[in-house]
Amino acid sequence: MVKVYTVTGCPYCEKVKRYLASKDVDFVAYDIEVDAAARDECKRLTGMDYAVPVTTIDGEHFVIDYDKAALDELLCL
Amino acid sequence: MKERIHKDIVIIGAGMAGLTAALYCGRMNLDTLVLENGLVGGQIANAVAIENFPGFVSVSGGELIATVQKQAESFGAVIDEFDEIERVTLKATPKIIETQEKIYEADAVIIATGMNRRKLPLPEEKKFSGRGVHYCELCDGHAYDGKIIAVAGGGNAAVDAANFLTKYATKLYLIHRSELRADDFSQRRMRANDKITVMLQTDIKALRGDKKLEAVEVFDKTTGETKTLAVDGIFVNIGVEPNTKLFRDELTLSASGRIIAGEDCRTEIDGVFAAGDVREKEIRQLTTAASDGTTAALLAEKFLAKLKG
Repeated sequence: MVKVYTVTGCPYCEKVKRYLASKDVDFVAYDIEVDAAARDECKRLTGMDYAVPVTTIDGEHFVIDYDKAALDELLCL
Repeated sequence: MKERIHKDIVIIGAGMAGLTAALYCGRMNLDTLVLENGLVGGQIANAVAIENFPGFVSVSGGELIATVQKQAESFGAVIDEFDEIERVTLKATPKIIETQEKIYEADAVIIATGMNRRKLPLPEEKKFSGRGVHYCELCDGHAYDGKIIAVAGGGNAAVDAANFLTKYATKLYLIHRSELRADDFSQRRMRANDKITVMLQTDIKALRGDKKLEAVEVFDKTTGETKTLAVDGIFVNIGVEPNTKLFRDELTLSASGRIIAGEDCRTEIDGVFAAGDVREKEIRQLTTAASDGTTAALLAEKFLAKLKG
């Protein structure tokens, strides 16, 4: 399952979600401002306190921000 | 082999100017495509609150732009925010816009590519980008709950960002190299906020920290004093630069890099219009971007009518 770590109001988070939807990718979005477990997981993954949006498919490899080429590679689009 | 697609008009850029042009073009039944490499909404997509756009007492950039986008799409304009433009040939007939996936042939083009935020011109910027140096308050502000931060810049965007970020920060330094350019209303609101310390005539000389930002070194030009401010993060709002790289081979640019076109938005190439902040002009506001989008769309329609006889 693809996971996207976001915060409310973040325009790049919304763009990542729209991009995944446009490619028919099923994903679950987590708001790390309100979901402490997701925030901890996002921090563990990236080593950063505050990076959003973060997209991962395996909890190991991830893409920060809206980076189309990197998302395509990560998700084999 | 990329697919070739004909359009009456291609609008490059989906900020306020581009979306307003799309709204008008759609209403005039033109086959309209909007291409956007970055964020739909452009600079205002990040705006916390817009209070100088008629019809709204206060509205977030995201909300306002979503409404304009919906209006444009309701009249048939198509917005593609994922397919990135690689090159354009504007002097050809029809005009060619080549993206990663397609080749568009357009009878008219409106350029509304706007501006990009300027990065902090320090060698350490790259090291700390995303690790204390930020350009999006709405995206990254939440990470500074209970922390000390700085905002660099002195225009409306910087002052409004400072006001917004005190929602999280316990203390905030607004650092600007000269005097404030923000309007009086935003400045008054900031001055009344006791979490904010305003440091004018102050240059940011260096960013300090190990793995993430820990301090900024500043130079007070009035006193000649250098200080180190312990901060957890800095949000940069030090101005913008025109997004005209795609067009510099075909269109004359001003000294500041903007496209030269008159109030009618016509450029030196027939059928090519420049609208919004990307056009060289004295006043660049959200309202004037909407005005330019309107003008460019209506005159593009006249151009197309003449072209088709």
